[in-house]
Amino acid sequence: MDLSVLERVKWLQQQQMVSPDFFEILGSDGREELKRVESYLGNNNDELQSFRHYETIDGCISRTSSFQIEQVKNNEENRVIALQHKRKTEGKTEKIENKKKKKIKTEDETESSMKGKSNMSNSETSSEIQKRDYIHVRARRGEATDRHSLAERARREKLSKKMKCLQDIVPGCNKVTGKAGMLDEIINYVQSLQQQVEFLSMKLSVLNPELEYHINELSTKQFQACFTDLPEAVSKQLMMVDASSFPLQHQESLDYSVINSIQTTTLGSKDQTSSGWEIHSQSLYNNLRTDSVSSFFSLE
Amino acid sequence: MQPTSTMNEEFLKKWQMGLQMFRPSIDNASVSERKRAIKLSADVAMASLRKGTTCWSRALIQKTATEDNFLVRQMLSGIKEETLINKKLPKVMCHRKIVRRSKKILMRRKSRSAMEEVAAKAKKLVKRKTQGLRNVVPGGEFMSNNVLLIQETLDYIVSLQTQVNVMRSIVDAAEAGIER
Repeated sequence: MDLSVLERVKWLQQQQMVSPDFFEILGSDGREELKRVESYLGNNNDELQSFRHYETIDGCISRTSSFQIEQVKNNEENRVIALQHKRKTEGKTEKIENKKKKKIKTEDETESSMKGKSNMSNSETSSEIQKRDYIHVRARRGEATDRHSLAERARREKLSKKMKCLQDIVPGCNKVTGKAGMLDEIINYVQSLQQQVEFLSMKLSVLNPELEYHINELSTKQFQACFTDLPEAVSKQLMMVDASSFPLQHQESLDYSVINSIQTTTLGSKDQTSSGWEIHSQSLYNNLRTDSVSSFFSLE
Repeated sequence: MQPTSTMNEEFLKKWQMGLQMFRPSIDNASVSERKRAIKLSADVAMASLRKGTTCWSRALIQKTATEDNFLVRQMLSGIKEETLINKKLPKVMCHRKIVRRSKKILMRRKSRSAMEEVAAKAKKLVKRKTQGLRNVVPGGEFMSNNVLLIQETLDYIVSLQTQVNVMRSIVDAAEAGIER
């Protein structure tokens, strides 16, 4: 925490957002002190980041400028107080607005007006820093606001988002509620998909091996054309069929069937899709009816 | 997320490439050999679509590499195959029996109320199911947290769907052709 505080202070100085205010408040002596602090931070930045003895760092810096560190610590306290006060505030307000409100309130409670002024400027800048450095999780009313439960809640929300995505993909998950039931459905679905792959590969191996041959020989270009311009491709090939009719190559005949089947591929029930394919392939094969085709298929 | 046609295309391309490797030996081999060849090349094609980004794809590639190293090397040529094949799978997370025993001892010491018992049973059930999911998804045992597991399951399901789609379309085309 201390290191982040230091980093923040350094960032502030780099941005030079606070220095004009500081200079007004600190006066000439303070300016020298500030320069010393800057040099300290600038030279020893790397060492500080690897330096593990937080107490000694505190000691060093407090010697040079206690004013600054108190300021920044005040900001942290403000943040914590703001979070705690959230429980009491009614209605949902923006977190940053709340912080600012609370900071103004706590500033009234602080003793010196000087501290108050610099607190204002600091609070704005530090809230900006917090916007950039921290992931904002909204603390809901009546819930714990410490870091662990916030992080856990963020994790849980991530998980539930992913589960919702899964619900869309896995069919039949809408009716089941709760994690256990959904996980059950997911497991069943994955297992059924894996079994389908096994079954289909067995079927493919049983079918004539020449088929695999010719599927391999089909150029990928043809497939790409099929996938992009499906209806045009099909109509073109149909016209080619009418024009040239006999004899046709083995490859072209396979083209038609594969085009159509892949075109109408959905993950619906097998009956629906197969019937669609049947119709398509039937209509096409009625047009073909060549000797070469029949001989090819009767080869095996 | 549904499988897109580009995914179908790519899978088909890679699968063809894998099947071509078997071409000289495939005609005389038995049915089981052919089935094994088809399935292995399909699996590697599916996994290589992800190019090593997901955990399940790496685990699947390594599993098939133990069965047929040559095929995997050929199919993955150009996509950092050495790193994918030789990469050691992370050690199994924990020895389950020992963990179970120590948990039993811990549970005995705790005093429970009725509400806690119900919640504990629900949690046990969920844990058992996630363990089942880990067994099904390739590489599931090595996913440390549940969020990653669910993410991987999602991706795996989509890839399986593309695989099934393409295979089914080819089978139906072949069947339709044979009927003529």
